[in-house]
Formats: sequence, C-alpha cells, structure tokens
Amino acid sequence: METGTPDRGRMDPTPAHADWRRWLDGHAPKFLLFARQQARSDADAQDLVQEALIEAAQRQRDGAPPPPPLVFATIRRRAIDLARSEDRRGQREQTAFAAMPEWWFDTSVEDRELGQLMQNAMSRLPDTYREVITLKVWGELTFAEIAEALDIPANTAASRYRYGLAELRKLTKEVLA
Amino acid sequence: MNDHENFGAELRRLKPATPPTDFMARLAAISPPTPEQAETRAPHASVADAWRQIFRWLLPATAGVGLLIAALVWAGLKPASQMSGSRPQAAAKPVLKPDDVQIDRQLVAAYDAVAQMPGGEPVRFRCQQWMDEVVLRDSVRGVRIEQRTPRFEIVAAKLETY
Repeated sequence: METGTPDRGRMDPTPAHADWRRWLDGHAPKFLLFARQQARSDADAQDLVQEALIEAAQRQRDGAPPPPPLVFATIRRRAIDLARSEDRRGQREQTAFAAMPEWWFDTSVEDRELGQLMQNAMSRLPDTYREVITLKVWGELTFAEIAEALDIPANTAASRYRYGLAELRKLTKEVLA
Repeated sequence: MNDHENFGAELRRLKPATPPTDFMARLAAISPPTPEQAETRAPHASVADAWRQIFRWLLPATAGVGLLIAALVWAGLKPASQMSGSRPQAAAKPVLKPDDVQIDRQLVAAYDAVAQMPGGEPVRFRCQQWMDEVVLRDSVRGVRIEQRTPRFEIVAAKLETY
C-alpha cells in the first residue's frame, strides 16, 4: 500500500540521500581498503563494510553519517568475529592476500606498478603495522582516532606507524630507489 | 619534512581502489536514520535504556531487601529462650554488684635456697609460694565469682642474718 513514506531500501532524491551518497563516494573506498586487509575474500570484505555501516548508521540519531573511526573500529571488530567463527584466522592471514584478486589501490596507468608493488609490500607487513599505516595514510585518521579505533594507546599507534613505514620502505627500497 | 613524512606523502599518491558499482549501490541503500526517524525510534531506545538502568540497581536492591526480610522473619520465629539467652551477655557486665568480697591468701610452700655470688660470698634466698584468692558474691542474682592467682616471692637475705 502506498503511504507516501520514502522506502529506506530504495534510492530517493532527497538532499539527505544525496549527502549520504557524497559521503559514501568519499569514504567507501577507504573502508573497503581496510576491510580487504582484514577479510579472507573480497566478498567478505564487502559484507564487513556493509554490516559495519549499518551498525554505525543505526547509532546515529541526527541523520548525519557515522564518524569514520567508528566505522573502521566496527569493521575490525566484525572481522575478528568472523575469523573467530570460522576458526581459520591463521590460515586466512597466510593465504588471503595471495588469493585476493582485487587491487587495493587505483590502478591508473601511471601508478599501476607502484600500486601493485605497494600492495605486495603491505601484504608482507605484520597486521599491527599494516592496519595503523592504512588508517593513517588512506583512512586519514589522527593517531588519537586510530588509538580509539584499534583500542590501543595513541603512543603505540604512533610508534607502530613509524616502525611500519620503516619496514615498508625496506620492502620497497630496491624498486623505488 | 623528514623521511617518514616524505614516504607517507608518496604513499598518499596512491588512492584506494574504487569499489564495484553494485557494492556502492548496496551501500547507498543504507542511510542513517533521519532526525524524524530517530525521534520515533528514540523513545524505544530510551525506554529500553531506562529499564536497563532500573534493573541495574533494582535486582541487587531487591536481593538485599529480601535478605533483610528473611533475617527479620527468622529473628521473629526464634524461640524466646534463645532470644533471652543472648541478652545477659550484653547486659551482665554493668549489672553485677557484689555484696560480699573475700580476699584470702594461702601459703602453699616455703623453702630456702643457698647460692654463691660471683665473688664467692654465699647468699640465701627465702622462697615462698602463695595462692591469692578473691571471691565476689552477688546474693541478689546468685552469682559467685572466684579467682585464684599463684604468686611466687623470692627474698634474698645475707647468710649471717638468718
């Protein structure tokens, strides 16, 4: 029965929806990049982002998009839950990146090689470094926000970032030199 | 700008891959509740929160009150003899008024011992063992308290004065 009430599952042309689309265009790539590093497959990564956005959006009572640190934290928590439920985290860490066909970065012509190189190097970094670097560089979070998202002290986030960058430089030094 | 910042800036040149179109469509279908939707949802949330808050203290408080009531009921059902039996312990101390006090001491044993001082001089010790006795009587309450304390007396005396 038609009630005139907008259907939440259908795209509508209201300003709020347009804002939401703009916000998604800006943030969804970051969320998916982070989720791809946490998940076993690209399908899992997409599900993680979707579930995290639903959960975070439901907490918003003012109609504003959820804060990105909350979404990152939710993605991570969901990924841990998923890994626990499947009880194959160790196996996932060893095989996920090799089996992941999707590119993490935009593969425009000029940056294609760099993107592939960086994805390869990032996949060899320890989890603790990789997630901090991803949140800092591409998630554009502050160390305080990273600390909140990962539930670690801000100083730890900063030191992991430094050590992670140093490690990443070592891994890419020969090619970038 | 240090090396880390340079390298970080270089990494930022890379942009995260654009998500697939169908995935973006799925995400677009989600949207945060509008303020109107939030208002209609808020009362449910606030009612749930309120119940949660109430239960947080109501359960322990109910348990505490239950224990208190149980203790009172138990005390009420206790036999009068048990209840009265516990009273004298608290009241006995200030109430006792002895009307008869006897102090006695008995010599239990007496003997002398002889020893030598470090200089070789002999010394005699007169030893007496006593038993001191105190008896208190409160004839009104029919209480008799008897206390006996052994006591040992040693008196040194020069050998020639004895």
